[in-house]
Amino acid sequence: MTQDAIVAARSISRSFFSNRVLNDVSITLRAGTIHALLGENGAGKSTLIGILSGALAPDAGDIDIDGVRHAAVRPAIARAAGIAVVQQELSLTSQLSIAENVGMGALPRRLGLIDYSALMRRAHEVCALVGLEQDLARPVGDLPLGQQQLVEIAKALFRKPRVLILDEPTSSLSAHEAANLMAVLRRLRDAGTAVLYISHRLNEVLALCEWVTVLKDGVVTADRSLGGVDAQGLVRLMVGREPGDLFPRWTPSAEPAPIIAVEGLSAGMVRDVAMTIRRGEVLGVGGLVGQGQEDLLLGLYGAIPAVAGRAEFNGVVGLPRSVPQANARGLAYVPADRKREGLHLIHSIAWNLMIPSFGRAPSLAMRRTASERERAIALADRLGIKGDLTREVQALSGGNQQKVALAKWLPSDPPVLLLNDPTRGVDVDTKREIYALLRRFAAEGRAVVLLSSDTPELVNLCDRVAVMRAGRLVRVLERTELSEEAIVSAAMESAVPGAAA
Amino acid sequence: MTSPTERFAAARWQAVLRSRPMLTVAMVALAWIGASFFQPGFGGWRHLRYLLELAAIVGLVSIGQTLVVVAGGIDLSVGAIVTVSAIGVPLVTWLADPTGTAPALFILLCATLIGALNGLGIALLRVHPMIMTLAMATFLQGVLILIAGGSAISAQNAVLSWLGNARPGGISASVLLWLLASAIALWLLHKTPFGARLFALGTNPLATSLSGIGVRSTTIAVYAISGFTAGLAGALVLGVNGQGYVGIGDSYLLASIASVVLGGTSILGGRGTYAGTIPGAILLVTITALITMLNASAGWRNILFGTLIMALLLLSGRERQRR
Repeated sequence: MTQDAIVAARSISRSFFSNRVLNDVSITLRAGTIHALLGENGAGKSTLIGILSGALAPDAGDIDIDGVRHAAVRPAIARAAGIAVVQQELSLTSQLSIAENVGMGALPRRLGLIDYSALMRRAHEVCALVGLEQDLARPVGDLPLGQQQLVEIAKALFRKPRVLILDEPTSSLSAHEAANLMAVLRRLRDAGTAVLYISHRLNEVLALCEWVTVLKDGVVTADRSLGGVDAQGLVRLMVGREPGDLFPRWTPSAEPAPIIAVEGLSAGMVRDVAMTIRRGEVLGVGGLVGQGQEDLLLGLYGAIPAVAGRAEFNGVVGLPRSVPQANARGLAYVPADRKREGLHLIHSIAWNLMIPSFGRAPSLAMRRTASERERAIALADRLGIKGDLTREVQALSGGNQQKVALAKWLPSDPPVLLLNDPTRGVDVDTKREIYALLRRFAAEGRAVVLLSSDTPELVNLCDRVAVMRAGRLVRVLERTELSEEAIVSAAMESAVPGAAA
Repeated sequence: MTSPTERFAAARWQAVLRSRPMLTVAMVALAWIGASFFQPGFGGWRHLRYLLELAAIVGLVSIGQTLVVVAGGIDLSVGAIVTVSAIGVPLVTWLADPTGTAPALFILLCATLIGALNGLGIALLRVHPMIMTLAMATFLQGVLILIAGGSAISAQNAVLSWLGNARPGGISASVLLWLLASAIALWLLHKTPFGARLFALGTNPLATSLSGIGVRSTTIAVYAISGFTAGLAGALVLGVNGQGYVGIGDSYLLASIASVVLGGTSILGGRGTYAGTIPGAILLVTITALITMLNASAGWRNILFGTLIMALLLLSGRERQRR
């Protein structure tokens, strides 16, 4: 078993400032094995990846690569050994083309210049492999988040890695694209690649991986074969206690009259969409990645230019022309990319929670520290954000950051919540809290629009699911017809000629 | 519900002492004490008061610059606006008024409008702040050369010369004006929603816009404020000198940026305080006075300023990596 180990890390410890993130962690990556690394947010997964790929040096411990012992992996050693990482935080250069991003750092040269025809050819191969159908000359910044993730994966494959580390590669991929990625990974495994796979989606882990290492608070709590382990067992390994149901019980609370009704809505990629949103429902928005779902939400929110044949928002006719106008009509939007679009990372939790009220209040009204603190504490308590609220938001785990991004809207009591993939990169416990919260919002009579790339989420939480393809709304599935298969087939069906809606 | 003291850790006094504004205050004190030993007259009340009068002008220009930099921009037109104001007041002859208040107010309005125009270009046409304000400065300098030519324009303006020269109760009127303006600036930045919007905008414009803050109106307002404070400084320059000429405001551009950066405001936006800019401005005029005292060439002053700014920007470059 040990002779096919490519990377073997032993007794790794690492601290940041005085905070011990990894403590005596050992892990072995073997050729031809897909190895799962599980753990809640903040368990130390990203730090471990950093150490294995040479981005970070361990404080103690050593790492064998192909039988050669290193005290720390330097980036050059990692590259020579063929270790490639697909980061969770996308590391793409948005102004450069897809092909250039894919080849970045390993560009084919001819006479000292970039050999663009070779680059295009090879980039095309790997992009086809991950199922990215785009003009490779397009700047990456133009792509939706999910397709950027595919570029990130293609970039890793471009180097023909012997060890491939993927940090939540499917967090913004739809079921179809995720399935495609898994087929690619199986093929790589069969060709002898060692794969380290990190995901919060347990069914993927069960379907794909043979071996699992579980981290909890920086310590390995399990390192075993996945044979005979089921989803409940996996959660038990991660959380260290019995899991409850992930999804809250679904009870109908939708009111018949719509709070938002639009016809002929076009915005960005969105073409001619007619839809209604009701109070008391969770309306899912699904489909393959990048079919205009995000533009739909942004268009409704007044954040991108939009036109509509007819529109009524909360009793007011016409689309909101700006974000403040949308806020005034009771809409709130929680973005998918919370670090870039949702939060002010260098400021405190309390300050972030106050931001929408800074926008609403008269410019020169006196700010009252005491009342701001009271409101911040009440919000933090309501969503279970613990600890010192003067901490900078960038110091929080993904789950807690998401709670801040959501909580800041609650003071204005918005009747319509537009949520863009709110559980992306969030650990299981926080996911459960967010799910319960969404159903509670619906029960309170709010309209919740849930854009999600996680199909089980759509099936278990939503009253209805609107499925989009190529900017059009192709199906609205009612609760009774909801299933993962129904959503995936609706997302794909108009690809068949003649079946377009 | 948990108690406020549990959820809001008290600011530690050690952290306050180690902050950049305090560091700048310490540097000023050190420079003053050190210089007094070598040159007995340096630490005298009259000389210090004179330094504060010089710092008042830099400090006024730096109010707008601080707010703009906190909001993630930069205003390269402040020097030109100072000149517009210093030359403009004597030109507004049709608003004849024995106290000189009307022409002064009129020019302040013009300066504010010039600033608002900067903001319009940046917010609506999405021109980079550096390009927009540099183009504005160049444009204004061209207009001024056409109007004023190479000659100095003298002014008889009662209000402004009082502001520039009077010392009620031994304290300079210009310093009192600066104190008042500083109090308003600090209140605006730290105690109003408008100030909070500036910090939000400078930290993350996209998240700010999606949070329902009017990015355009905030941008236009902050550049208008910068135009106003530069105009006010220009009026004071005129009051002190009794005349204005093309180029009289040029030195205030770099001085304003230097005092903002010296005061610990991040040139990347989103972090900072005018409380740091105040000692920053005083430190700058002190350095100038020291160089004069040593009989060194004015070239040395510029070399020192340039080096200082570069050193501080290197520090904030390290900050960028941590973001």
